[in-house]
Amino acid sequence: MKLIDSIKKDFNTMTLVLIPVAIAINVVIGQIVVLLRLPVYLDSIGTVLVGAICGPWAGALTGTLSNIIWGLLIDPNAFPWFPVALFIGFVSGWCARFGLFRTWWGVIITGFLVAITAAVVSTPIAVYLYGGITASGSSFITAFLLQTGRDLVTAVLSTNFLVEPVDKIATALLAYAIIRGLSRRYLMRFPRAENVLPAESKK
Amino acid sequence: MVERLSFYLERSSPLHRLNPTTKLVVAFTLILVAFLGPGLLLPSLIFLLILTPLSFVGQVGREFLRTTVRLLLPLFAFLFVMQSLFYPGGKTVLFGFWIFSVKLEGVRFAFLTATRVLVMVSSFLLLLFTTHPGVLLLDLTQRGLPASVAYILASTLQIIPQMQAKAATILDAQRSRGLDTSGSLGRRIRALLPLVGPLVFGSLVDVEERAIAIEARGFRSSRPKTSLVEIEDRPLERALRWLCLLAIILALGSRLWP
Repeated sequence: MKLIDSIKKDFNTMTLVLIPVAIAINVVIGQIVVLLRLPVYLDSIGTVLVGAICGPWAGALTGTLSNIIWGLLIDPNAFPWFPVALFIGFVSGWCARFGLFRTWWGVIITGFLVAITAAVVSTPIAVYLYGGITASGSSFITAFLLQTGRDLVTAVLSTNFLVEPVDKIATALLAYAIIRGLSRRYLMRFPRAENVLPAESKK
Repeated sequence: MVERLSFYLERSSPLHRLNPTTKLVVAFTLILVAFLGPGLLLPSLIFLLILTPLSFVGQVGREFLRTTVRLLLPLFAFLFVMQSLFYPGGKTVLFGFWIFSVKLEGVRFAFLTATRVLVMVSSFLLLLFTTHPGVLLLDLTQRGLPASVAYILASTLQIIPQMQAKAATILDAQRSRGLDTSGSLGRRIRALLPLVGPLVFGSLVDVEERAIAIEARGFRSSRPKTSLVEIEDRPLERALRWLCLLAIILALGSRLWP
């Protein structure tokens, strides 16, 4: 019962109002990145942000609903990938709870852990639904690894380990930059604000 | 940037009048049967004999086919080239050129994967073309989806177009001040912050005000809420949904005991 109570505490009104904005941030920044033709996705900044200041459960919900919205509005191919987004929010929430969102190097570690999780979770989806080859350019690496004799799961997993860290570390750093730009008074209204305030300002 | 709010097209067809949950259940059933069911041709038959005729019943046939092709053609082209050349364990060589050889097993695998993805994407598309997202959310809320989840989804659908408009304004403003959005990679990376910063902080400022506003309107009240709109649900549709469950069980059975 303690767990359920602590989850409920994370979902205060501020959290519920922040989540739609965070999802919109995911979608719109994702589109700006496409417009600028950058070699990353950066489509989960809002998810990491919610995970950090509202806790892992709110982050997981943000990620899941983010993919549902992406599927509703832009491309139904996004639906089956929702577990990846769920774990991105969940892991970044736990990293923040262990204090990794107080320093910039902690944030890089967070990005790396999120990337590892995303790589592991997306591998079975890519393998079972798409046979390992998706529409993204990184599938060339997968094909190359297949040619050198790796089996499908190893090839997809290694590809993900290669491409995820850059994207997720950049995502985490941008979310951190946003948090640093918000006032302390504003942050304190969110349930897990103590996760992100610098160590010296803690009581 | 996307201007429309969703894929929904307003028509008066029998498909539009169906209960949203029925359509959702049918979509999930077709996808599960396509992925679990036996045979190489099953997914393509589902698309040709069920989804395409249904889209014409729903009077969205042309848009349905056009959007399906637009969303899936690049993936399919890629899939066929990569799988027919690089599918591991392919033995039967169909034809070869230079250092490449096209293998039958790869082509078969690409066909099966492509048609399964086709069923997955197109059944969701058909649902979205014929169902207003608000009505679907309302129906799911009346069937027990938590009101907070419905609020988040409905509110996001409203915020995204506003934010896209804001992003377009910021983009124009920064470009007119000389921001380079099409130069080298380094310049494009540097263009990201001046675009993202104003957008994000501007949107986050509204959060606090909106939280106070909805709290003042009884958002956190736990009493049952009444609704202005009634959504029809006929006994025939209930029967159809049970039939869907049966189809899923059959498909699962065919996978577990071949």
